[in-house]
Amino acid sequence: MMAKLGIFDLAVRYGKLTAIAELSFTVAEGERVFISGPNGAGKSSLLSAIAGSVRAAHGRIEMDGDILSGLGPEAIARRGLSMVPEGRRIFAGLTVLENLTVGTGMRRDRSAVADDLETVFTAFPILRERARASAGALSGGQQQMLAIARALMTNPKVMLVDEPSLGLAPKVVDEVYDRLCQLQAVRGLTLVIVEQSSARAARVGGRMLLMRGGRIVADGDATEFAARDLLTEAYFGGAA
Amino acid sequence: MSLQLLFDALALGGIYAVAALGIALIFGVMRLVNFAHGQFIASAVFALIVPSTDAMAVLGLGALPAPVLVPLILMIGAGLALVAEALVFRPMRNASPVALMVGSFALGVALQNLLLVLYGGRPKAVSLWAELGQPVQVATASVPLLQLIVIAAVVVILAALALMLRKSRLGLEMRAAAEDFTMARMLGVRSNRVISGAFALSGALAAVVALVLVAQTGVADVRMGGQIMLVAFIATVVGGMGSLSGAVAAGLGIGAASALLQAGLPAEARPFRDAFLYGGVILVLLFRPQGLFAPVGAKPRV
Repeated sequence: MMAKLGIFDLAVRYGKLTAIAELSFTVAEGERVFISGPNGAGKSSLLSAIAGSVRAAHGRIEMDGDILSGLGPEAIARRGLSMVPEGRRIFAGLTVLENLTVGTGMRRDRSAVADDLETVFTAFPILRERARASAGALSGGQQQMLAIARALMTNPKVMLVDEPSLGLAPKVVDEVYDRLCQLQAVRGLTLVIVEQSSARAARVGGRMLLMRGGRIVADGDATEFAARDLLTEAYFGGAA
Repeated sequence: MSLQLLFDALALGGIYAVAALGIALIFGVMRLVNFAHGQFIASAVFALIVPSTDAMAVLGLGALPAPVLVPLILMIGAGLALVAEALVFRPMRNASPVALMVGSFALGVALQNLLLVLYGGRPKAVSLWAELGQPVQVATASVPLLQLIVIAAVVVILAALALMLRKSRLGLEMRAAAEDFTMARMLGVRSNRVISGAFALSGALAAVVALVLVAQTGVADVRMGGQIMLVAFIATVVGGMGSLSGAVAAGLGIGAASALLQAGLPAEARPFRDAFLYGGVILVLLFRPQGLFAPVGAKPRV
């Protein structure tokens, strides 16, 4: 079967600094892939390059066999790839409902948009409650939920989520992951999630890629990672 | 304060507000201070008259009846801005804000020289809607009809723009893009559509300013854009770069202050009105360097 998402020999550079060097992996449809590794490993650069907000120095990114690399972020979004970025980047001056509506402009299926709004409001009732409130007034956890809901409103096939647990209380993180997995099951989403905590990834379950120095140093089942020493290796060096 | 003065202040402030909005709209979505805005205004003025180097202008489009002329000039202003965006700013889309600003200067100079070639350098007398100079009695004040029309038009424009930004899809996308352009694009918002939309609106607003200036002063001068551009730019800075309501408020404030100083200063100090005015601007910026209404995320993107 063709991979849903394919990354081939991807390199990302900022000036002379190499953020990602010759990295390749594929993700199957409906799969859940965690990306972990120390700070500066290139996790966020990888997601940004896939979403088109950072230009790749070379390499190829494919979704369903279509080449995404070289397209602008809006063209990539329109093909069904959605991003929940680092730091959430919600539109603080817009209302919650407006935040959810920004990404629906490319959709022509009006009734499906209404259904999706109902779905995210059911998954995150707080967003329905605060629909008319300014998004900037939400708490960190609520903003994370809004960022996920906003990405879902574009009706994506593939969703990239950058550190959903950052700055949130563990209980809130549980809730965010619960909803994320639930929505994935319902929608048949393919998920790529940057997650620092391997324990968290193991608990949620899925495949895990370990990154260090812009490369993938290990690839396996998240639950196995907790038992093995691979994380220590990724963080502190050693043979990978 | 006399009623007369109130009308003067509102009319002048309203025009400054509309001019400032034209700059703030474009800055909001692409962090470009468009210094060619003044030349957009001047170009819309000269679009009214037949190209010639005579001192007495012959109305061309300007002779059309107002219900035809106004939408037509607005469309010309919008069209000019759209062409400028496509030819100059689109190829520079990924350039630094400073390079964009220099590009806008160059465009302004090019436009001004184009006008010089077509119309010559001498200011021209233009008689547009001369009958609107008729005074009308409003309570105790005798006010030119034009001034009332200007004030009403500014109110209508501001309300329509606010409505468009709040309620329309393009307005929503423009507000989202103004906060975080890349994020908006990652949600499928087309950058070309948003930027073209901002330029078209800005160009139409420049045309409004042009119509009012000509009707008020009766003069077409290739240099006329520079002065109002300066005031409008200062208004966007005082209002807080990127804040539309800030630009409107500061434009109104500067226009009103200017009218009040003109009336209130002793006769011997009146020639220095602008020194007092900009002294006030400096004071405001000393206490609020980010402007009065600095919006979220208005810092230039890196």
